[in-house]
Amino acid sequence: MNIISRLLRKNTSPARIAGFVLSNFIGLAIVTGALMFYRDARTIWTDEDSFIRSDFLVINKKVTSANTVGQSSSEFGADEIADIESQPWTRSVGRFTSNDYRVSAEVQAGGRGMSTYMFFESIPDEFVDVPSSQWLYREGSDEVPIILSKDYLALYNFGFASSAGLPQVSEGLMGSIPMTLTLRSEDGLRSRTVRGRVAGFSNRLNTILVPQRFMEETNRELGSGRERQPSRLIIDTSSPGDVAITKYLEAHDYEVAGDKSGTSAAFLLKLIVGIVVGVGGVITVLSLFVLLLSMALLMEKNRDKIHNLLMLGYDAGTVARPYESLVVWASVAAYVIAVGGALLMRLFYLEPVEGLGAHPEFPWLSLSVGLVLTVVIILLNILSLRRRIRASFRL
Amino acid sequence: MNIDTILHGGRLDEIRLDRMLPRVFANEPIPESQVWRRDVTFRRPRRVLVAAESGGGKSSMCAYIYGARTDYEGRLLLNGHDARELGMEQWQALRRRHIAYLPQELSLFAELSAWDNIQLKNRLTGHATDRQVEEWLDALGISARRDYPAGRMSIGQQQRVAIIRAICQPFDFLLLDEPVSHLDARNNDIAAAIIAAEADRQKAAIISTSVGNAINLDYTQTLHL
Repeated sequence: MNIISRLLRKNTSPARIAGFVLSNFIGLAIVTGALMFYRDARTIWTDEDSFIRSDFLVINKKVTSANTVGQSSSEFGADEIADIESQPWTRSVGRFTSNDYRVSAEVQAGGRGMSTYMFFESIPDEFVDVPSSQWLYREGSDEVPIILSKDYLALYNFGFASSAGLPQVSEGLMGSIPMTLTLRSEDGLRSRTVRGRVAGFSNRLNTILVPQRFMEETNRELGSGRERQPSRLIIDTSSPGDVAITKYLEAHDYEVAGDKSGTSAAFLLKLIVGIVVGVGGVITVLSLFVLLLSMALLMEKNRDKIHNLLMLGYDAGTVARPYESLVVWASVAAYVIAVGGALLMRLFYLEPVEGLGAHPEFPWLSLSVGLVLTVVIILLNILSLRRRIRASFRL
Repeated sequence: MNIDTILHGGRLDEIRLDRMLPRVFANEPIPESQVWRRDVTFRRPRRVLVAAESGGGKSSMCAYIYGARTDYEGRLLLNGHDARELGMEQWQALRRRHIAYLPQELSLFAELSAWDNIQLKNRLTGHATDRQVEEWLDALGISARRDYPAGRMSIGQQQRVAIIRAICQPFDFLLLDEPVSHLDARNNDIAAAIIAAEADRQKAAIISTSVGNAINLDYTQTLHL
């Protein structure tokens, strides 16, 4: 150690520095550990659905016997849509458009043909999370991209195919099977044939989705021209899992399509992790003050020496360096131990959480948050001790 | 403001005390003084003795010139520039290369050896060789004490260590605040010879204060504070 460090580090209290390292370690370990756990556990609910983001809700009205006998409509009126749009948790609302004509699909597989009646729906493109190149439909084109519900494939594979002795198909294979769609108007006078291309399968959309532009074009060509209200809506919410949403939907007898149980559990997880991170954050801030005060005390004890070094002509940077390196080493040590602790904890919960269906990735983000906190602590301390040294220039 | 522009060509040539007065004296009647409230200019390479009585403010004057204190009225001009406008970095540069200072209280680091105390300054400035420092220690009769903690030395020995430390840097002005108050006549002469040689070599000025026991230099002027 050089002479200056030897002079200025005198009176360093190992107990105080250890106190900082310990409290900073606890704070950082809680913050990074909780964030890590949240990001790992969250993947249980945010099942990869590359087509619809998790903060989109698809809702419809509950179907009752009144709907069947035609006394009540399952369609959303303009006033009802306006009311949803005015809710604080709503960013935007998209309407489902249905086909106003008949659709039959024909599939050729292994020399056998299969034909079925079916339907289409479409939603505005901004709600579909597919690269636009894959979801592109040009006016008049004879090929149209389709997103199918995963449930339909499951129904076919495990219900229909096995009982009818037909081969099971994978998602990949389904995408490559040529599908011919025949669109015919109600009166049967006008028709059009297009090729369907399966662009993907969705967990959260219980429908057969085509691009909005295709829907508008074919409804214009083949539809009866009747004005119809949507029976399903897609909502972009600012806070998925918010209790207010659940309350609102219950009060209006609306149903959410797809997995509902997950959203409230995800909300609870978020809440609990938020509290834990908050506690960890408070401990981290307290540890920052422990270090600030320890350094202030140490420098106060060495104030005369700092002043005399400045009197000899040493610049503030050189005088600050022993203290700066002390701050850096203590903070980095606390961070390293905290990261080690958090990763160790992760080892213990990783297996059970993976068993619940999570697919965790390496927690870069959580570690970065810890690192940013560490850097902030270091910078604030350096700022404070430089100011203190400048104050020692004149006694 | 760059320190080199203040010094025009790299040296500090004159220090002017323009109607300066320590603020503590502002409301008291002060005895006749050739420095306070006057216009005094110290120039290189002159040697000035500032003779004073205790409490006359000689240490204050040194601290003002060295930038360690600013509690004065009037102006301190370095090569014509107001010293109040200098920032910390500029003062540090001045202290490393232009103004050397031996404070009355010596300001040695008690826990460091004589050698480390001197090297603390000498390594910063890279001015004297180890051999040169050893020669000075030898001449002043303290080479046997070079590895003793300064705090365990006598005041006279500490004063000699501080003298060596003060000249371990290039300087245009050397401020000596009662440099030999605890030295005998023989060591006074030796210290004076070493200091005079260094000042001559660098064509530097010396401002020395005394309350009676002045360092034995050839003064060009004596001012009564």
